[in-house]
Amino acid sequence: MSSIVLQQAINGIVVGSLYVLVALGLTLIYGVLVQINFAHADIVTLGAFAAYGVTHLLSGNYLAGIAAALGLGAALGWLINAGIFVPLRERGSELLPLIATIGVSIMLQNAMLALLGPIPYAFDTPYSNQVIRLGTLFLTVQNVLIILVSGVSIALLYGFMKFTFLGKALRAVSQDRETAGLMGINPGHLIMLTFVIASALAGLSGAMLGPVLVLTPFAGTSVIVKAFAIVIIGGFGNVEGTILAGLLVGLIESYTTQFLDPGLIDIVVFALLLLTLAVRPTGLIAERREENV
Amino acid sequence: MTSLLQTQALELAYGQVPACRDISINVNDGEIVTLIGANGAGKTTILRAIAGALPPRSGTIRFAGKDITALPSHERTNLGIALVPEGRRVFPFLTVRENLELGGFKFRKEHARVRDRMQAMFGMFPRLRDRAAQNAGTLSGGEQQMLALARAMMSEPRLLCLDEPSLGLAPLVVRDIFQTITAINARGTAVLLVEQNARYALQVARRGYVLQTGSIATSGPCSELRSDLRVQEAYLGRGAASAGAAAP
Repeated sequence: MSSIVLQQAINGIVVGSLYVLVALGLTLIYGVLVQINFAHADIVTLGAFAAYGVTHLLSGNYLAGIAAALGLGAALGWLINAGIFVPLRERGSELLPLIATIGVSIMLQNAMLALLGPIPYAFDTPYSNQVIRLGTLFLTVQNVLIILVSGVSIALLYGFMKFTFLGKALRAVSQDRETAGLMGINPGHLIMLTFVIASALAGLSGAMLGPVLVLTPFAGTSVIVKAFAIVIIGGFGNVEGTILAGLLVGLIESYTTQFLDPGLIDIVVFALLLLTLAVRPTGLIAERREENV
Repeated sequence: MTSLLQTQALELAYGQVPACRDISINVNDGEIVTLIGANGAGKTTILRAIAGALPPRSGTIRFAGKDITALPSHERTNLGIALVPEGRRVFPFLTVRENLELGGFKFRKEHARVRDRMQAMFGMFPRLRDRAAQNAGTLSGGEQQMLALARAMMSEPRLLCLDEPSLGLAPLVVRDIFQTITAINARGTAVLLVEQNARYALQVARRGYVLQTGSIATSGPCSELRSDLRVQEAYLGRGAASAGAAAP
């Protein structure tokens, strides 16, 4: 019994850390711009396909595939910001970028559908079938890699935000853009940096998800709904809350699968979302907004 | 004395709503100049234009002999203009230390300089040293004002613009803040002070401009402005007595 609990905890952390990678990008962009990039899901999908393509092209070099997905994500982030968010922001509308990214998302999905077809791809990495046994527990090397890559990315992001000048400037821009400008910070540069980081994470998560999930042009879309729920549960724009909520949702999913019914996963997750909205509308770790006059 | 900041016939507006017109002010190297006026007279608007947060509709702004009218605010900071905005606007979820570091953002490649500068600020405001690891949002109003002031001074500005530094603070704290402003100026930084508390402002500054509904009503040395009847009536609260005495 306890080994089942432990085994499912590992599975939950694997799924959860993937969700965290996807959700962090959403929350970073929201934190800085108070905007949502609906094409985020498709960067995940494109990352998965890029990793698939490069891995196969280089006869099984999955690590090169991961790097390619990361690079493609970063490039797409730059492109989406420069092509959509910057020009539409100059027009001064809040709603336009949101709608434009929905358009980009639909366009990308259909382009992938036309190019790659609706039949799921079997993305097997050299690590998918290597199993590590720890007593009664077992996990694939792919799962270890997922936890490792996610853990390292999250730690790097955290360190960047906490300890570097640029990371602190990024947090300043997200708290008060105009005042950040007064500090000599160019907010435009930091918004661009946010898009690049967020989308690189999305591409990366695609590379990690691809071998685990059903790889179709809609792979990202199936994850993004959960990622949105996680962003809300964690508190919009709150990095720590997003990490916690992502792992929590992963654990809930794996325990629901084990002890209840896999079909109930979405119901349980979204019940948690509703509960959060009712009880703690600002998210799990609400930032304390103390105001002094 | 050479002119450090010069605005010429500035016309400012928020969208279609005009806010200020024909604003020509001058701040010389090393002096304290004040802008006083009632609520809504346009004081904050002018400071925002000088800091680059609000592009003017027409007119020019020159700083240290250079036309900066079209420069975005982050580049003005690099030239030596610092603004302590109204309501202090510290970054509430960054620590006091991080707020100060960002004030020195333009020296980010010179770590030693930022560190030294921060030590100097801690020397000037010992309270901030005690609270260095605390989130700025948890500070009291007076402490936040000190932090906003120290943060602006981190960039070693040639011109320090202050927007209502006394707003909402206890009288003792206000006195401290004004003493600090005088001390900062004594070390060579020019100060442009926007204040509702005209009594303090006219004591601290050398020259002043009086704003009325978006344009400059009068200007001159503060000693003259203090004895100006209109200024007294409107801003120094001696209105009733002098108006009574002047009535036939």
